[in-house]
Amino acid sequence: MPDKPRVIEKPDVLEKPDILKPPAPAPLVTFPVEVVVPEGRQQTPAVGQRATRADARLHGLGQTKYIDDMYFPNMLFAKIKRAGIASARIKSIDTKEAEAMPGVIAVITGRDIPCNSFGPSLKDQPVLASERVFHAGDGVAAVAAVSEQIAAEAIEKIKVEYEPLTPVLDPLESLKLETPGVHAPSANIYGHKLIKKGDVEKAFAESYRVFEGTFRTQMVEHVPLEPYACIAQWDANGRVTVYSTLGRITLGRADVARTLGIPMSRIRIIATVVGGNFGGKNEIRAEPVMALLSKKTGRPVKCVYTRSEEFTASTTRHPLVMDYKTGVSKQGKILGRKIRLVLDGGAYCSWSETTLGKACILSAGPYNIDNLYAEAFVVYTNKTMTGAMRGFGAPQVCFAYESHMDDIAHALGLDPLEFRLMNAFEEGSISPTGQKLHSVVVKESLLRAAKRFGWNGLGDGNGTGVKA
Amino acid sequence: MVNVTLKVNGETRSATVPPETTLLRLLRDQFNLTGAKLGCDVGDCGACTVIVDGKPVNSCLMLAGQADGREVLTIEGLANADHLHPLQKLFEHFGSLQCGFCGPGVIMSAKALLDENPNPSAQEIRDALGGNLCRCTGYAKMIEAIKGASCILRGEEIPAVKSAFVTE
Repeated sequence: MPDKPRVIEKPDVLEKPDILKPPAPAPLVTFPVEVVVPEGRQQTPAVGQRATRADARLHGLGQTKYIDDMYFPNMLFAKIKRAGIASARIKSIDTKEAEAMPGVIAVITGRDIPCNSFGPSLKDQPVLASERVFHAGDGVAAVAAVSEQIAAEAIEKIKVEYEPLTPVLDPLESLKLETPGVHAPSANIYGHKLIKKGDVEKAFAESYRVFEGTFRTQMVEHVPLEPYACIAQWDANGRVTVYSTLGRITLGRADVARTLGIPMSRIRIIATVVGGNFGGKNEIRAEPVMALLSKKTGRPVKCVYTRSEEFTASTTRHPLVMDYKTGVSKQGKILGRKIRLVLDGGAYCSWSETTLGKACILSAGPYNIDNLYAEAFVVYTNKTMTGAMRGFGAPQVCFAYESHMDDIAHALGLDPLEFRLMNAFEEGSISPTGQKLHSVVVKESLLRAAKRFGWNGLGDGNGTGVKA
Repeated sequence: MVNVTLKVNGETRSATVPPETTLLRLLRDQFNLTGAKLGCDVGDCGACTVIVDGKPVNSCLMLAGQADGREVLTIEGLANADHLHPLQKLFEHFGSLQCGFCGPGVIMSAKALLDENPNPSAQEIRDALGGNLCRCTGYAKMIEAIKGASCILRGEEIPAVKSAFVTE
């Protein structure tokens, strides 16, 4: 069937010449400007409205270009050789055989990095390990080759001689002063926070019962579906362009400038579409390595981590060892709580300080506790570095204080819900760090949830439970 | 080197590649079809899912040589210049994708399911997505979109209460 002939309507411009005029200027603002302060918990007009993501169509069509989907003429592919040993001194690195392979264009080691240290807070992370290996995922050399496969074969041919050292693997061991320093002569404890309120020992003395518990959480990897990837291109003007999945490109730019020893004005970081971050793409990884390989070869260089590199050579969630001690009155009111958190920071600081702070501030839970002593340490170990991950320490302490609350309720013969309602924050409660809280609906939420799933005071042993 | 000739999205394509080349590498590097993604390279995540002779396949686990003479459908072959596939339309409408990296694989798994079973239950959809990992969405909106697309493909209206899809 032939298409209907398309009727071309007369353009508006001809009918209404007015629309060609520039829009009238906005009326002058006279001060004071009226600032609309939303009332507490007032909803914005956006709530309840349907919205579609601007990038949803390209995602569905498979047309979104992530870094691995980009290609530049003459591009090389890089692979990084991983140490595979938790703690060692590097005696020698022999790259001759790899360099001689057909298809290998350049090889670099830690000695080629102008300033071999970086980090979001402490600059304790080498770009490529040159003297010492601090964890098994440390890179020791990098190869740029005409194909990914040749690069992968070439890193197998790089010979590294190590003098193995005894690794520190347990955070509690690392906490002890006599344990050898991971980054000797620096101490293993590299972050500390203390929150004190009232007199906790006096509260324990006055308590009807005092409960203790130790809780541990494990290391967790973000596993973004898109593994870490980056492309660097060093041009003849001495400027470098980096395509990166970084969530914080401005911080990354500073780190790249530092490690390459060139001014920030010569670095351009292009943030691409990110295939999942969850906190694991908040700092640079191999960007300086790719930049230097590109400088050495004069060609763009791409690197995509394998899934196993993603586990061993990117940041993870901090494992925590959490000691809780809580004194309660006969009725079930919490009188005092003492907490010690030990965060396993892995080999490098990364975002540990942020995690330490948040874990410590939230470690007492959403409960009114007059006497509190919460102390947190973060220590180095020879394990994969830990850094930012959704919640920054909050999920770990939540697991601990809520498990502890259940243990106490059970021992006192109280309904776990009742026990929480007795102690939970309410409007105007003061947080452990002295902040007055607004819009507090812990109790309302708990009660409503309990009603919705028919809480019977015990839980049915099938995954029903209470948690504030 | 091996010669591979196969039908990709209705078009006959051929290439000469090293024998260890996977179907995924063939599609991405030789044919420039970068919709299928490399997520894990060991067949766990499903980001590389394409349809080979009507069956969903992890293309990172299939050698290019094994695909010789077969018919491959990738995410690029689902829509045409005028129309999105109902799955693509509803994935967009329901906000079923966030970072989007798993999306092409999920949609291809769903397409293979709907080709075989035009009216799947929520559980059958979950089973069909068993080989596709997503770290952003929690799958619920994907299941809604797939259920909705099955309605469109059968020529029915999408029921108004969409949450009913998930808790059947």
